[in-house]
Amino acid sequence: MAPSCCQVRVGPDLNGAAEVGSDRWDGRAMPASQVDEFQVIGKRVAKLDAPAKVTGRTVYADDLSMAGLLEGAILRSPHAHARIRSIDVSAAEQLPGVRAVIYAGNVTQRPFGYSHDNLPLKRDKVRFIGDEVAAVAAIDEETAKAALSMIKVDYEVLPAVFDPFEALEETAPVIHDERPDIVGNLSMRWDYDAGDVDEAATRAAVVVEGDYSSPQAAPVPIETHVIVASFDPDGHLTVWSPVHMVFMYRKELADCLGLDWRHITVIQPSVGGSFGGKIDIDSHDFITVLLARHSGRPVRLALSREEEFTGTRTRQPIHFHLRTGADAEGNLLFRDAEVVSDNGAYNAWGSHAMLVAMNTVTSMYRVPNSRVRCSVAYTNKNYGGSVRGFGNPQATFAVEQQMEELADALGMDPMDLRLRNANQSGDVTPQGLEITSCGLSDCLRIVREQSGWDQRRGTMRGRHRGLGAAAFIHVGGGARIYASDGCGAVVKVDDSGEVTLITGASELGQGSETVLAMIVAEEMGIPIDSVRVVNSNTDVKPWDVGVHASRTTFVAGNAARMAAAAARDKLLETASELLETPAGELRVRDGVVEVAADPSRRIELGRVARRRLLREGGGVVMATAFYDPPTHNQDKDYRGNISAAYGFGAHVAEVEVDPGTGMVRLINLWTAHDVGRAINPMSCEGQIEGGAAMGIGLALSEELVIFDGEIVAPNLHDYGMPTAVDVPRTVVNLVETVDPLGPFGAKGVGEAALIPVPAAVANAVADATGVRPREYPMRPWKVKAWIDAGESSHASRRAAEPADKGGGDNG
Amino acid sequence: MAEVFAAGSIEEVVAFLAGHRGVSLPIAGGTDVMVDKRNGRVHPEWLVDLTSLEALAGIEFREGGKVVRIGSMTRIRSLELDPVLGRRAAALVEAARLLGSVQIRTMATVGGNLCHGTPSAEMPPPLLVHDADCEVAGPSGRRVMPLVDLFAGPGRTVLEPDELLVALELRLPDSGVGSCYLRQTVRWSMDLAGVGVAAAVEVDGSTVTKARVALGAVAPVPLLVAEAANALVGTELDAGAAAEAGRRAAAACSPITDARGTESYRRQVVAVLVERAARIAWLRATGSWPAGVPAPANGVLPSEVR
Repeated sequence: MAPSCCQVRVGPDLNGAAEVGSDRWDGRAMPASQVDEFQVIGKRVAKLDAPAKVTGRTVYADDLSMAGLLEGAILRSPHAHARIRSIDVSAAEQLPGVRAVIYAGNVTQRPFGYSHDNLPLKRDKVRFIGDEVAAVAAIDEETAKAALSMIKVDYEVLPAVFDPFEALEETAPVIHDERPDIVGNLSMRWDYDAGDVDEAATRAAVVVEGDYSSPQAAPVPIETHVIVASFDPDGHLTVWSPVHMVFMYRKELADCLGLDWRHITVIQPSVGGSFGGKIDIDSHDFITVLLARHSGRPVRLALSREEEFTGTRTRQPIHFHLRTGADAEGNLLFRDAEVVSDNGAYNAWGSHAMLVAMNTVTSMYRVPNSRVRCSVAYTNKNYGGSVRGFGNPQATFAVEQQMEELADALGMDPMDLRLRNANQSGDVTPQGLEITSCGLSDCLRIVREQSGWDQRRGTMRGRHRGLGAAAFIHVGGGARIYASDGCGAVVKVDDSGEVTLITGASELGQGSETVLAMIVAEEMGIPIDSVRVVNSNTDVKPWDVGVHASRTTFVAGNAARMAAAAARDKLLETASELLETPAGELRVRDGVVEVAADPSRRIELGRVARRRLLREGGGVVMATAFYDPPTHNQDKDYRGNISAAYGFGAHVAEVEVDPGTGMVRLINLWTAHDVGRAINPMSCEGQIEGGAAMGIGLALSEELVIFDGEIVAPNLHDYGMPTAVDVPRTVVNLVETVDPLGPFGAKGVGEAALIPVPAAVANAVADATGVRPREYPMRPWKVKAWIDAGESSHASRRAAEPADKGGGDNG
Repeated sequence: MAEVFAAGSIEEVVAFLAGHRGVSLPIAGGTDVMVDKRNGRVHPEWLVDLTSLEALAGIEFREGGKVVRIGSMTRIRSLELDPVLGRRAAALVEAARLLGSVQIRTMATVGGNLCHGTPSAEMPPPLLVHDADCEVAGPSGRRVMPLVDLFAGPGRTVLEPDELLVALELRLPDSGVGSCYLRQTVRWSMDLAGVGVAAAVEVDGSTVTKARVALGAVAPVPLLVAEAANALVGTELDAGAAAEAGRRAAAACSPITDARGTESYRRQVVAVLVERAARIAWLRATGSWPAGVPAPANGVLPSEVR
């Protein structure tokens, strides 16, 4: 079979993988799309920052040095819920070497966070173990830590609640008693209706129903949060922070601390990984600035690994009670989700994970009727952030397991069920998502073929082996969560002829610098190594929302392309004069302008730039662009096209389960991703392999184990990130649908690959054992218990609130 | 901050430890001590560096290979790569392969792994089933005791603060012996055992003449379970005998429930892994297992191999 609507690049590992399936995927012989027409796009370009990183020369925030730099440290709450009666810092202040001791009693601060429910230094109450109470700046780390131990805090310990279902009960201790706008611990509701689920249920031939839960997980960047803050003598503040959303960061710093945002510069040093954990501002950022202000000296705050686990934002557990119904032919009729999101002590962006999770419930496959009733609960735990995938792995775990349950109930093959209901180009989903390019069906066909699905699924239970699939939908063309979803770009060509792209977008290690440089190089007809990317300083770079929602290639890429095209046109205008040929008859290749009909008439681009600049009345070549995708903020009913493009993909996982120990071995993972176009196939493969590894961790091992509100083992060992041994060969197929709006047709791929992994692995475990995982990570003792019980471990959880048939308030 | 004393001989180490009782700590590879120090679990004023003591390092075969002496400073990586041990003390090499990463194994030592007293440590179960004795140096000279007597509780041994583990001695019958180490973990590498199990059998003809079964991570100290071993002796190590050994081992241990598994789960896994380890030890003793090939961590061969 051949893909119907798109070109396919098949992963380099196909030869090995194809041995598993009975038939080779014949798509591997297909040519990659139109690559030959490009000079740079579609080439396997090594990341521009790789040599510095692998040789240890990259400068991270922790490597910065400056005269008088102090070390900061934070005193954190040992209690999950307590009232602060008093704080005495006098002894700490007396310790030699201490330059500042701050707490709510001696700083100016205003609430921050999505619901303005958080303070950098807690004043009246602490709400989780790790909550910030006081901080010290001292001449070195040891002095700072010694001073922390001398701060006396008198707490009145309060009853705490850790389970979101208990938190939503009337008798639960109220965590934010200062918020009159909410009832109890119900911090937000996300309620959505399309069509008539109850009516559709009466027509369903088959309905499946079940509970699906996920744990508290962490983004675990290898670089912990490190922030440096320094005030100039004239009061101008410079902050070096690995944050993604630098412009919002500046605004929020000003708002919370009463600073003038015109006098704040934010510089993003090289970032040692984030995965969403460093997306926006948090208490430690404000605290660093407050310490610098109180000490009158520059201050560095570097979180320890333990603090990175206990004191920063996490991936929130989300509990789904889901029903899916279909008619006898396998046409999906409805989805009905009761959801409880366990968002922890404060509302950061994690309170909005349902924004993305909801897309999957309403719009993964064609579902005419859907209903979501979601409660976001405060609990006395670390609070939810926006970790890679942002609610989608949790939702996909429920939705995609239910597709296989439904297929089994219908007596259909799950792949046939998926293909029958697959989203197609041109669809507008009931939620208003406008599906433009869509390679979902091709992705499904590819992994079906490569995994030998038709021959092998359901046949290997005797060997405790199984195959499971899962697909996903995710925003791939920005995500309008703010008034603008835009990004600015400046392209300039100075007398040297070197091209500089100044972009609003940030590099986190994901490869955006390289991809943006490739886009500029392609558009201008120059080699990749002629492009320099500047992206780290708010004084210099144009506005951007920031890195999130897999939006950088799409949004920043379009902005860069527009600016590059405008700069090229200026150069061609001058070249036209020099070559005495109309600009339309010129072309640029490898940095040389030539007459298309007579390439011997040519002039080097740098010379063109100089000839334009170095003359009376001359000018520098500089072009600006701002790209804001044609999308809409969702309305109060959560309808609207939030993204200009949607990414799709499908995975098949093969596992072998040891029924004796419950240990699961992942044998194979086949992936196919609709990336629109692979600007840099190597980079796409890296994102997919890395995302898959992160998904494997979620599926099998990663969890912050919490007893009585305390993360019991905040270290890299116990957290359970997978090692190379746990990650099988990942077969990557890039499906190119050439998106109409993406730069050269590209769509976002940054978050994609982890999303379907827990669901695919769970489906594979179900195929191998006959029992259905209801939660992840599928650590061995859970799997063993499920197998021994001989049936699905129906999690005892039900959404605390019965489905509210009325409309919802949107919190 | 601790100061480092670089000892020149075993006697110097013992004398220094005796002179700095309670404030000094021997440091071998440092893979446990440095972590403990960072986490505030130990506060030594002095670290007594053993790395230059050649007398403590090395694997030495004696009596025509029937006895092996393993110096306490022998790196785990050296055990892992030793071809003779791979054939004749397979459990030890299997355990060595599973400990940490290559980097950690290159630093970590067998003596350090034993003396740290971690109940889930990799080295005790295989050494116990190979009937290891340990040689200890102290102010009043050397003493030798069975390894099983070394362990006193989680993180504790019977060694006095001025005593030093010098070497281990294992008897290695030259034929008819097989052993195996298996463990349960959350991930497949760089993990601590939730359950660790070793079994060794000596076979004469088609009958088990001697057997040992040892357990890690399921009691305050590593256990040698005689009643489990007795279930194997005199049998042809059929499925029933292996299962019975597993049941007895499960009954004999006392696991706890923590973040890495429940008490009842660990007991179940002890039964499963003892059964498998005994079977693999038998296959090795009878020449039915390819020499030098380690078993998968959980004892289950990938299904296409089976």
